[in-house]
Amino acid sequence: MLSQFFILSPRGDTIILRDYLGNVPKGSSEVLFRKVKFWDGGGQDAPPVFHVDGVNYLYVKDGGVLLCATTRENVSPFVVLELLRRIGGIIKDYCGLLSEDAVRKNFVLVYELLDEVIDYGYPQNSSSEALKELVHNEPTIVKPPKHKASVFSVGKGPTGVIKSVLDTARTDGGRRDEIFVDIVERISCTFNSAGYIHASQIDGAIQVKSYLAGNPAICLALNDTLAIGRRGGAHGHDYSHGGGTSQDAVMLDDCNFHESVSLDRFDTERTLELVPPDGEFAVMNYRSTYDFKPPFRVNVVVEPDRNSSLKALVTIRLKADFLAEKAASGLELSIAFPKEAARMTCEYERETKPSGSQSWDWQERLHRLTWKLKRVQGGSDHALKARVTLDEEYSANFRRGVGPVNCTFAIPMYCASRLQVRYLQILKNDKNYSPYRWVRYVTMSSSYTFRT
Amino acid sequence: MSDSKYFATTKKGEIHEFKEDLRSLDRSKKKEAVKKVIAAMTVGKDVSMLFPDVVNCMQTDDLELKKLVYLYLINYAKTQPDLAIMGVNTFVKDSQDPNPLIRALAVRTMGCIRVDKITEYLCDPLQRCLKDDDPYVRKTAAVCVAKLYDINSELVEDRGFLDILKDLLADSNPMVVANAVAALSEIHEVSGKDVFQITSNSLFKLLRALNECTEWGQVFILDSLAAYQAKDSKDAESIVERVSPRLQHANCAVVLSAVKVIMKQLDLIQDDALVKQLQKKMAPPLVTLLSAEPEIQFVALRNINLIVQKAPQILSHEVKVFFCKYNDPIYVKMEKLEIMIRLASDKNIDQVLLEFKEYATEVDVDFVRRAVRAIGRCAVSIEKAAERCINVLLELIQTKVNYVVQEAIIVIKDIFRRYPNRYESIIATLCENLDTLDEPEAKASMIWIIGEYAERIDNADELLEQFLETFPEETALVQLQLVTAAVKLFLKKPTEKPQQMIQLVLTYATQETDNPDLRDRAYIYWRLLSTDPDAAKEVVLAEKPVIMDNTTSLEPSLLTLLLGQLGNLASVYHKPPEAFVTRSRLAVQRAEDLAPASFEEDSAAGAGASEAMPGPVAGPEVQSHQPDLLGDLLDVGEPTPPPAPAPSPPQPTARAPPPSSNGNLQELLGGLDINQSAPAPAPIPQQAASDPFGAPAPRQEQAGGASMRQLLAADRGKGLSIYGAVARVGGQPVYQLRFQNDTAQPLDGFMIQFNKNTFGLAPANQSVSMSPVAPRSSGAASVPLVQNPAMVSPAQASPSLQVAIRNNQLGVAYFNDTLPLPAVLLEDGKIEGSVFVGSWKSIPEANEVTQQLPINMGNLEGVKAKLAAANMFVMAYKQVAQTNEEVLYVTGKAATLDSPTQLLLEVRFAKGVPGIKAFTKSTRPDLAPFLFEALPALLS
Repeated sequence: MLSQFFILSPRGDTIILRDYLGNVPKGSSEVLFRKVKFWDGGGQDAPPVFHVDGVNYLYVKDGGVLLCATTRENVSPFVVLELLRRIGGIIKDYCGLLSEDAVRKNFVLVYELLDEVIDYGYPQNSSSEALKELVHNEPTIVKPPKHKASVFSVGKGPTGVIKSVLDTARTDGGRRDEIFVDIVERISCTFNSAGYIHASQIDGAIQVKSYLAGNPAICLALNDTLAIGRRGGAHGHDYSHGGGTSQDAVMLDDCNFHESVSLDRFDTERTLELVPPDGEFAVMNYRSTYDFKPPFRVNVVVEPDRNSSLKALVTIRLKADFLAEKAASGLELSIAFPKEAARMTCEYERETKPSGSQSWDWQERLHRLTWKLKRVQGGSDHALKARVTLDEEYSANFRRGVGPVNCTFAIPMYCASRLQVRYLQILKNDKNYSPYRWVRYVTMSSSYTFRT
Repeated sequence: MSDSKYFATTKKGEIHEFKEDLRSLDRSKKKEAVKKVIAAMTVGKDVSMLFPDVVNCMQTDDLELKKLVYLYLINYAKTQPDLAIMGVNTFVKDSQDPNPLIRALAVRTMGCIRVDKITEYLCDPLQRCLKDDDPYVRKTAAVCVAKLYDINSELVEDRGFLDILKDLLADSNPMVVANAVAALSEIHEVSGKDVFQITSNSLFKLLRALNECTEWGQVFILDSLAAYQAKDSKDAESIVERVSPRLQHANCAVVLSAVKVIMKQLDLIQDDALVKQLQKKMAPPLVTLLSAEPEIQFVALRNINLIVQKAPQILSHEVKVFFCKYNDPIYVKMEKLEIMIRLASDKNIDQVLLEFKEYATEVDVDFVRRAVRAIGRCAVSIEKAAERCINVLLELIQTKVNYVVQEAIIVIKDIFRRYPNRYESIIATLCENLDTLDEPEAKASMIWIIGEYAERIDNADELLEQFLETFPEETALVQLQLVTAAVKLFLKKPTEKPQQMIQLVLTYATQETDNPDLRDRAYIYWRLLSTDPDAAKEVVLAEKPVIMDNTTSLEPSLLTLLLGQLGNLASVYHKPPEAFVTRSRLAVQRAEDLAPASFEEDSAAGAGASEAMPGPVAGPEVQSHQPDLLGDLLDVGEPTPPPAPAPSPPQPTARAPPPSSNGNLQELLGGLDINQSAPAPAPIPQQAASDPFGAPAPRQEQAGGASMRQLLAADRGKGLSIYGAVARVGGQPVYQLRFQNDTAQPLDGFMIQFNKNTFGLAPANQSVSMSPVAPRSSGAASVPLVQNPAMVSPAQASPSLQVAIRNNQLGVAYFNDTLPLPAVLLEDGKIEGSVFVGSWKSIPEANEVTQQLPINMGNLEGVKAKLAAANMFVMAYKQVAQTNEEVLYVTGKAATLDSPTQLLLEVRFAKGVPGIKAFTKSTRPDLAPFLFEALPALLS
């Protein structure tokens, strides 16, 4: 299986290294780092699996560090990549977060964990829960850098908690029993030039992070109307028509479950039962290509300037199409312009509702306009008017060349698929036991594009 | 307290300080010191001199400290084997500790210390631990058996550990089962022995364990199940039934391994409805893999690519999920594009084209080009969609973006080839864009179009003239097209201007150029035109075979092989495992043994490396041609070449490779003879003329003594051209090579490797002994060849020989050569006439191969001499009075590896009748093509 496992810092220093078979030459970490950094002359992402001089290199990027493995054999890359991801997750669970600093400060613990996770290059125990009784080092909790500290920041899961799984074993009174259940959805949506959805998908996960002492079983009830499976089948996959199910149904194409989940009551009651192991994990991953209401709509109008043929007016209108009590954060629109766009000045149109600050930036080299809005309240409208100076005379080619508009955002407490946790029950026969229960939702953009 | 301070920069006397602390009686100080040592070790500092001091800390009941010490031991035991022995007592003691964690730790660590002396002490503790009460200890011991096997396989077999391991397959603990499966598979793989044969009995056990196992264990079990050959349809069905719930697993490795098992069993299942249902069931989990991180997506896409080549219907309705997202990494986008092309059909082509068109306006130039190509490929493969594709291409040409236009013209050329006389109306639009063309391939395509449709383009002559202005500066590709196009134009419009043009071109191409391909093509045209213009028309304007889009399809046999490798690295590289796995685990024990040179020159190897990973970057076309080659090439850096005769002495820049000391001049002269007697116009290679984009047939070059062909043209070899031929010198096959260096730097460090071939020929030495080749000069070498059973290609016999040559400056180059039969004919091939007759009779009729060959028999004596020089012996000659036929009986002994094969040959020919008829018989009828290949040179 694996010949080596190592962790590289963003600068390429080896911070952790285990060699299992001794059949890979020294310097493999440099080879990997150089390849990843300068793949195809730089500027391109290196594929996660590649081959140099008889050695196969596999890596994943997480928390700023590179988790890497080498092997000479025809192994399963999925096993390796999944294992690398898992190791990243375990470090997160034990050290609170994964970063160069966290690994350096806890390297003895990381080695100890690795000892149990991989033996002779074979994956062994990769559950944070089971590892607890096998390791002896205490973690040093590292505070994340300030600017990343926002709750529900980037990433797949609830990164808001910086806490080691070993915390539940504390007896000094500093312990706090709590459980986080997060419904995290990443939406991909492509709109055609007429503003209709051309392709869309929701990739969701129910992430659980449990700090419950004694590992009681829990019960998660989902929507009654949850339906799984693809309509249509062999004939006519027409995405634009409903499948004849009720309006409120939450429709998923496919889903899978963590191995701790019992599905006995899932088919009848849409209820998941499980004994959550310590650490963070996805109880359920799901995917849906059914229609949903897109949270944002964008409309771009390009007009010639009546006064000058070397100028153009581009108006970008944004509509937040969700409930007014919710708000998106960190909305960023990036609009591509054709080469003839040289300079521009922008102004904001009067906002219908006052909301957070906004800014725009014209990157001349990339021919790209970015428009950032810190906070966008549901139901609000915004517009940005750009007055563009052109190198060539205005033409239809310029009009066609504006776009696409790519958006990134996160909307807390919003769920595009309308999947819900109806209740979260902790099955413990103790009336006084009431740990903190957090059920949170967030919808993020995965790829949200308006074509023009 | 944090550990990061251990990484603080080192001061002088650090080692000394460590030593002091390690000897300290204060336990925490000691522990601190070991931590510092480990930190130093991690960043690559040599702290091996602390070995005795660290080992002294081993005997402790502080588990944390113990683990640290063990970590150190594993790393350095190899360098200090004698000192490592000091730890054995503690290990053995620990292996009987009441604490299972310590017992397991002891076996685990001992197995990692690859020192023979320690291994001896490992057996008893291992035996105990395999039967330990605690599952944690047992699972650790199971893996330890695999470790021990790697160090000393006999010990494992003698102590019966394999049997214990097999018993563990039925263990009550899933972790133990998983590791037992892993260990057995590992041993199976390493040893090549059948230690892990799944029987119908163990199959049941494994299927049961599958439900209880850890996720990794499930992968191990599923992978071993994939190797199991089900007895019948029912058997296959029951396996699939047990495996299919795994498709719902959250671990993508489990999902894909389950897909692999199901794909394999599907072939056996006879119930069509069930097959359909299963295929349908596989689609959603496969698509779900694409919701994971980009790294996982990449691997998934490479695998899905294979699956849709075999069974596109599985995902035929899912093309939408392969649409690229704007923020996908480029390696994911490229793979999605491939799959979209495969799934495109006349039902979904509109959607797909819309996507491609969108991609063609993106920023990344490589991706844009690939998208434009994709449109062309869809046009070629889906007839109904061709027109729509062309319209999209025309729209893209309107954007006037330089590289988009060029790429579009390249694919339109293919569309013209595919659908002749259908879309020529767009030529006018193409001609508007001549000025933007600055890439050779686009230029060549446009020139081809002009030449091909010269009669429909009014100003074809003017257009061509524009291109001809820069003729001398163009690349070979464009020059070749210009020559052909000029000839076509002349044949179609034999007016004054084309006539001038053609004279100009042909004069230049025959007199001013160094490129043999160009020169020879021009000569052929010239002779054709001057001798028989009608024949020229027939040849040059012949109807072309219709092309297909198979640029990236894998050969069926390779595809089947790769589908069996689903989920393994082979399925990501799309290469058979032999191509990149060097099964050298047992041979290469120490990392230090591995050639470090290959790493020093990494900057140079960069180019080679990206070839090695065809993935999304290197052209996928390359891989399908040379599946095995790369892996075999990887051997180049290995320190142990196969036993071989001493290499021939270095032959510096002499142009003609002199025959080795006891060389046989006769043969060399024989070789010359062929060349001198054949300056007559060569037969026109029909293919080269009719298919301007096919590789021109290699030309012969007079290079010193042997007749060498150009094997690698300079434009393909980055400035290095290679000429060569396999010959037989002094009773030995030798590869005579000449390297022409047209780069600006000296080239050295030549290494050579063959792919497997029919006769198992391989270079005796991988490094070519030759002094560096200076810029603008050439160097010659003769590489002695040996026959190696491991190099015998299992495929059908074929004269094709795939060769890889690398040097320090340019990396690896590949080319195809042919293996001439005389190179492997033995000197002692002469047999008695009676033996000949006897063998001819005894070999069954079925082995007889007959072929009519267009050879004009030369002078009989000359032929005899030539045959003898090639180790082929004339047994008898007779004339058949009735039919006026002459018959020649010839034999030769081919050095096939197991035992030589006597080839029997009968040649019949008649005066005044062109051509000969050759009959051959031998125990290896598959060698007949070799013989027929060799005959023209020997008989004429």
